[in-house]
Amino acid sequence: MPASSAPAGSTPVETFDYRHSPLPVREGLAASQRRAWTRLAEPGEWWPGAVRIAIAEETRAATACAFCAERKAALSPYAVTGRHTAATDLPDVLVDTVHRIRTDPERLTRRFCDAALAGGLSDGEYAETVAVVATVVAVDTFCDAMGLPRHALPEPVAGEPRRRRPPGAKPGLAWIATVAPEDVTEGEAGMYDGLAGVNIHRALSLAPAEVAGFFDLDAEHYLPDAQLRDFGVEYRALTHAQIEFLAARVSAINQCVY
Amino acid sequence: MLLRGSGEHTGDDYDLTAIVDDGGSGGGPGVGVAAAAALTAYADAFFDDGRDFAAARDRLHAEIGGEALVDAAGVLAIFNAVVRIADATGIPLEDQKAEMSADFRAVLGIDDYPAAAGKV
Repeated sequence: MPASSAPAGSTPVETFDYRHSPLPVREGLAASQRRAWTRLAEPGEWWPGAVRIAIAEETRAATACAFCAERKAALSPYAVTGRHTAATDLPDVLVDTVHRIRTDPERLTRRFCDAALAGGLSDGEYAETVAVVATVVAVDTFCDAMGLPRHALPEPVAGEPRRRRPPGAKPGLAWIATVAPEDVTEGEAGMYDGLAGVNIHRALSLAPAEVAGFFDLDAEHYLPDAQLRDFGVEYRALTHAQIEFLAARVSAINQCVY
Repeated sequence: MLLRGSGEHTGDDYDLTAIVDDGGSGGGPGVGVAAAAALTAYADAFFDDGRDFAAARDRLHAEIGGEALVDAAGVLAIFNAVVRIADATGIPLEDQKAEMSADFRAVLGIDDYPAAAGKV
């Protein structure tokens, strides 16, 4: 992470716009981030808004966690023991889940996921936690990469999560159950609208609103699915080749296979 | 894989090894992607506290302009997030993608990543 980025606990900007950016930020991109921030604060499928914001706070705190740093440097993440420097009163299992996904994703294994579930998280809660971490990482990384201050986290919106498990969810594809496009029911209709429903889209499908929400963000920062292979038209100031080269480089640095 | 597809469309033969190059030839003129060296330096510096990220960003800005730099920040941001979804859920590559990318995954060492276990 660049030195110019805002560390956890620093004063972020209170308004969600890019008026102070020396470079103009596409309105579509900024609008997708505003929608993500709005969604972040609202009750989700499995977590109330307050927990979602606490997960967001832990996502930021993880990069300053001494235990995470020690574990990241260890030959195996299981070679060291200790306690996280938590920013919230979330249960230990949730703090550990968030911190590991934020700071050491390339060494996550099924064992890690199974331990989180055995520790008390449901697979739906796990999926939504992954989605919240990913959303915060995306928006924070954009600000860091632009050299801009991060946005203040929103105030949580009161209300209860829906807690409805998609009836078509099946185990087998990933470490948690997923919903194939052909198994979508009325209760989660629209989850894959505009998406091909490939594996990465299915990963979060136990929290259907997170699929639509995260890939709304994805479409504005990367490209909508329909434009990915439309090599004859350039939709961004970067060419298809430049976008894919940079995306591949970032994935390689993160040692991600997908 | 989409980079290869883009090259096939334009008739460019991109050097995919630059994706994982540690800096020797990474992003050099042989890559074939415009501003590849500056894009590489930008991404590398972002994830390496020991490098001057502001300088890498300024270099990229000078090479591709402000509008494209914003797009680059967006791509870097969303892929820094997507990798976490993939890694935290154990979602595998689709069989077809795994088959189509088998050659360069092996050459580039991607199959040796810790996260590759059981996913390809």
